[in-house]
Amino acid sequence: MSTPLLRVQGVTKKYGPNTVLNDVSFEIGKSEVVGLLGDNGAGKSTLVKIMSGVVDATAGEFFWDGTKIENINREKTEELGVETIFQDSALVPQMSITRNIFMGREITNKLGLMKIKEMDAITADVLDSVVTIEGIKSPKQLVSSLSGGQAQAVAIARAVHFKRSLLILDEPTSALAVRATEALLDYLRQLKGEGVSSVLVTHNLHHAYQVCDRHIVMNHGRKILDVRKEDTTVEELTAAVVGGAEGIRRYREGKK
Amino acid sequence: MSNRPPGEKKPVLQAPLATEAITQVKRLSDKQPTTFIGRMKNELQFIRGRGAFEISIVLAVLLIGYIVASVISPTGFAFLNPNNLSGVISQSIPVLAILGLAAGILMIAGEFDLSLGPAITFNAIVFIKFSESFGLAAGIIGGILSGVFIALVNGSIVVFTRIPSFIATLGMSFFWAGASIFVNGTTPAILTKSRDEVMVFLFAQDFGSFRSQLVWLLILGVLAWFFLHRHKLGNHIFAVGGNESAAEAISINSKKIKLIAFATFGGLVGFASILIAVRTSSMQPGGSATQDFTLFAIAAAVVGGTSLNGGRGSVIGIIVGAALIELIRNGLLLAKAPGFYITLFVGITIVIASIFNKVMEGKAR
Repeated sequence: MSTPLLRVQGVTKKYGPNTVLNDVSFEIGKSEVVGLLGDNGAGKSTLVKIMSGVVDATAGEFFWDGTKIENINREKTEELGVETIFQDSALVPQMSITRNIFMGREITNKLGLMKIKEMDAITADVLDSVVTIEGIKSPKQLVSSLSGGQAQAVAIARAVHFKRSLLILDEPTSALAVRATEALLDYLRQLKGEGVSSVLVTHNLHHAYQVCDRHIVMNHGRKILDVRKEDTTVEELTAAVVGGAEGIRRYREGKK
Repeated sequence: MSNRPPGEKKPVLQAPLATEAITQVKRLSDKQPTTFIGRMKNELQFIRGRGAFEISIVLAVLLIGYIVASVISPTGFAFLNPNNLSGVISQSIPVLAILGLAAGILMIAGEFDLSLGPAITFNAIVFIKFSESFGLAAGIIGGILSGVFIALVNGSIVVFTRIPSFIATLGMSFFWAGASIFVNGTTPAILTKSRDEVMVFLFAQDFGSFRSQLVWLLILGVLAWFFLHRHKLGNHIFAVGGNESAAEAISINSKKIKLIAFATFGGLVGFASILIAVRTSSMQPGGSATQDFTLFAIAAAVVGGTSLNGGRGSVIGIIVGAALIELIRNGLLLAKAPGFYITLFVGITIVIASIFNKVMEGKAR
């Protein structure tokens, strides 16, 4: 098997006396879609923040393409090409689509002044060629005037345009209508073809089951299940999310 | 999709489902207007609801009313009298507009600084003392750096302790008021021997119907516009104020950006302090003369369409907002309204403008 894109080894996170993550290890392969599942409070969000370099882990090691990363922080993950689309907060609603796409990566002249025309033109092109989104009138349109699905698509278009290698989506479907969700899941499938790995964090098992190659289930800060899609069923995942390790045991016993 | 002409770029990602949200449409890049008028129309369509445009119409209507009233009755409503234009309008509007820009930039970044008034007193005293002892150049540099220093102290407290800026700077406003008494004693600092022609020419020269202050407003307004609306740092200020977690997720250092916003705020306040000090030639430490500026500056920004929640505002809007407040103040004085009515009407203006902006903000969504 080839070297995984990201290998996480023994990650622990403590907030004071509370252990939020307890010795979690897993891998994310190249061009793989991994579902990170679990009920509220399972430690999913903390794990996402650690992987994207926003929060420091108390303990744990990280290997990127086989090489150990000493200090994982936001600058480092940006350099590696990790992009996190947080739950309905990936974009700045008061800003235009162009300014959102180029946020933090503006095209500027030597004085740092932005080349707005050039950025608008590229944005129009990105919106045409990367993801096709109906109803967008102009790259100058404010993101607050977009629907939830359109905004998610813009966030994904941004990640694809800047050739990110690992896309982490935190509850992307929670604010979306059914049809927009279908389209979003379809983008994830297609991202694989582009060589982009993605992590889909959700508590909607049906969405995850549709697109993910592998599922990791978290419960009270521990990893309790890590299975390939072929080796599991929606029922088993449900039992794991709802009942924890005990739930998996009971489910497997019930099947025998 | 199969009947696309050959050679046309295919989307990397396609949604096969013909949903209403995401599907194949006319290409965006093809339908952007190319003519000048087309671009202007396009531009106008997407700036609507961002504050500046609507409030400018209100200002224009008010100005026309004033001019008409002044033409009909030059003595009863002496708006166009050169004394009024250069003596009142072009001294008061630039100071409030520069302070409004300062407060506005900080508000766009999502923060406040309620110590603005006491900071003016402190900066003005530094300016006066440095000018008296080391000359004008030292005074100007000292006054501006004092503003930056004060703002950075306040900003660091807000950014590193995560105390809401409202509370932190409210506390610091008492600190800086006390600090100016500590530095200067309770007697006023007075510009005497250093108040020369150069100083007056730079900061208070009367050119007939306008003064140097107005020129400074133009210069700083253009610089602020380029900084806020065209420079990438300005873009980051909007991003951090609009949605801090989204900005951080894209690896913008929000602490650094907020400190830059505080420093810009401080520099502008420092400069406005110099204008105020040269106009009045003295500064009373611990006095209440500068106290009003804190809320008037925030009011100018809000009237001009700056969001109290951050992420929204414009340089033109803020300058127009400051002009509107000062014009209403001036109009009431000219109409000989009793003193306390003036704050009453300014108060009403601020509330109406905020409601107006709220409605417009709603429409823009």
